Amino acid sequence: MRRGLKGSTVLLGAFGAIALLSLAVIAGQAPAPRAAAASQVKRQANGKPDFSGIWQANNTANWDLVTHEALPARVMQPGVHALAPVPAAPVLALGAVGGVPPGMGVVEGDVIPYTPAALQKKKDNYEHWLDRDPEIKCYQPGVPRAMYMPYPFQILQGTNKIMMVFEYANAQRTIHLDQVEPYPNDSWMGHSVGHWEGDTLVVDVTSQIDKTWFDRAGDFHSDALHVVERYTPMTPDAIRYEATITDPAVFMRPWKIAMPLYRRLEPNVQLMDYRCIEMVEELLYGNLRKQPLVRKWEGQTMTVSVERRIPPPDILYER
Amino acid sequence: MRIKRQSLAFLGALTAAVTIAVALESVTVADQASGQGAARPRTAAQAPASRPTAPTPAARGTGKIPRTPWGAPDLQGIWNTNTLVPLERPREFGTRAFMTQEEHAKALADLQQRNERPGRDSRTVAGQPAVGTEKDVARAYNEFWFGDKPTKLSMRTSMITDPADGRVPPYTPEATRRMADKREFLAALLQGTSGGKPGPISPRRADRSPDYNLDRINRSDNPEDRGGPERCFGSDVPVTMGTGTFGGVMQLVQAPDSVSIYYDVGQGSGFAWVIPITNRPHLPKNIQLYRGDAIGRWEGDTLVVDVTNFSDETNFRGSRENLHLIQRFKRVDADTLSVEFTAEDPTTWTRPWTAIQELEKADEKTTLVLEGGCHEGNYGLLGMMLNTRAAEQAFKEGKGPDPATQDNATGGGAEN
Repeated sequence: MRRGLKGSTVLLGAFGAIALLSLAVIAGQAPAPRAAAASQVKRQANGKPDFSGIWQANNTANWDLVTHEALPARVMQPGVHALAPVPAAPVLALGAVGGVPPGMGVVEGDVIPYTPAALQKKKDNYEHWLDRDPEIKCYQPGVPRAMYMPYPFQILQGTNKIMMVFEYANAQRTIHLDQVEPYPNDSWMGHSVGHWEGDTLVVDVTSQIDKTWFDRAGDFHSDALHVVERYTPMTPDAIRYEATITDPAVFMRPWKIAMPLYRRLEPNVQLMDYRCIEMVEELLYGNLRKQPLVRKWEGQTMTVSVERRIPPPDILYER
Repeated sequence: MRIKRQSLAFLGALTAAVTIAVALESVTVADQASGQGAARPRTAAQAPASRPTAPTPAARGTGKIPRTPWGAPDLQGIWNTNTLVPLERPREFGTRAFMTQEEHAKALADLQQRNERPGRDSRTVAGQPAVGTEKDVARAYNEFWFGDKPTKLSMRTSMITDPADGRVPPYTPEATRRMADKREFLAALLQGTSGGKPGPISPRRADRSPDYNLDRINRSDNPEDRGGPERCFGSDVPVTMGTGTFGGVMQLVQAPDSVSIYYDVGQGSGFAWVIPITNRPHLPKNIQLYRGDAIGRWEGDTLVVDVTNFSDETNFRGSRENLHLIQRFKRVDADTLSVEFTAEDPTTWTRPWTAIQELEKADEKTTLVLEGGCHEGNYGLLGMMLNTRAAEQAFKEGKGPDPATQDNATGGGAEN
């Protein structure tokens, strides 16, 4: 409803006062402006919406799925006042660039319904973010996180499969619209099977490994994760994305996120490389070099010293 | 079940061999390069070995090809190959692009004979059989992961169709020098080990690699010492698919404005390659992409892809940032996707060259394209670094050999 009103306002500006009357009549007659926009949506020969193109979310869900305030840094330590913790050493030198942007939540009801034990683990993950977030290690993000990371991704809608290719880590997923065998193992991006409900593409995502997260706030799941996504055209250049998340090992009930995905409209937009595998080699393996490389950084007002450690085997091998 | 693995007993019943098979292994070297990475079994389904040998291309392309609802030739599907074709033509065939029936029968018998003795390294080291060396052990280890052997052989004598001798054209003097420098460096790191020249540990052992290293070198001082596949960089384009369970499989999805290929190749180093179909110009020269800047266009029923802006951190047979690639994808018939590439790089080859591979349509219900999780599960790189540090420590304490005297680079069967 709110979206409909906004659409009317924009149209008002364009058409002027005379349009007001007729528009009000149309709105009163039922076909909502949303439906009008949907009719301009690009479609395939079979009449289904064609989502092909380069898209990107434009929110802070990857920082935290629920509503959150700005933070001076994602890694902090106590300051001189309980209300004023300060950035910790790993991010201090980044100043305002290293802060966490605030944002409205994308979770319905703004609460993730963790079981009490799982909530403890989420809090623990939050505290140990720098050691644990799979994004930091350039691991494939899983679903739904891949959909709202701050990088573009491309949808290629074929005739019986839809492929999504993500700029981050060259991750990819295939949505099978045809009949396929179940996936034989758990995987980072899961196994996606889709079908149409009217103009909505509904995707069932299973077989996800338990090592991906939802965001940089430590929100996690188990290998029992089941995600049902719904992609509905809002306008030719926006998709309403919804994901219902079920995981009885971690959450007390299913919960839902929703957000728009926006088409990247730059005429020269294209996916480029974000080959973070190579970028994180120093982070992941620098402690195993014969001669340590990154030891110390010196700026005008500060020196940052780095001491590398080799953690015990269970942590080393379960990175 | 979707995963059909021909039994070892069946493999054992086959027989094995020489020229063709030697040439074919060199084709797949890049993908199969190392034994220490995050190897895992390939599970792409196999076509039955009884499937008849592909006819010559002349007999193909006569039927109607499938088209997309928007009228383009439909390139979609899961594609792989179970038919062996060497990249380069064995010299005895001269300029003949196809074998005779007799030659084919002989080559197939040779291949089957070769398949019969898996797992041992047949090379010699310093004039002695390699049996018992690090090389031999690495080969035996890798043999398991390589999976089923190819059992079908094309009538084609080589993938390379131009030049007429079916071989990669000579390298330019500049490229020859580059490669000689690298070979010397690799040899220096192996000196004094079972896989190298006899002699003391080379004073070059701590030198920097003359190029951005992507090869297997006999050193684990830094992650940069390990090969591209071990670092999970995935394969370079153009991909030539290998045969057998380890050979790889690709999935192509096509939209009106773009095509995307997911290559499930190498050891879990699968990657997605997007080809926009557009008339935009290439990126500025200073922008380097690991799989180049691909721009596709339709020429009749052929998707022609022009690829530039490669990176100096990629290596296609000695060609790096100056590689210019023209790939042609053509649906020949319901079961065949022809993938041709022309590679040119005046800093590497004395002339452009062209190769063709005819991929076979896999059964989409039973052939799974698996996600590459190479980096996420890369215990191999971690292990090489960690174990070498531990070996250095043990040596220091007089509890083991100097790791510098051990060969951790040439084994595994990738260099045959």
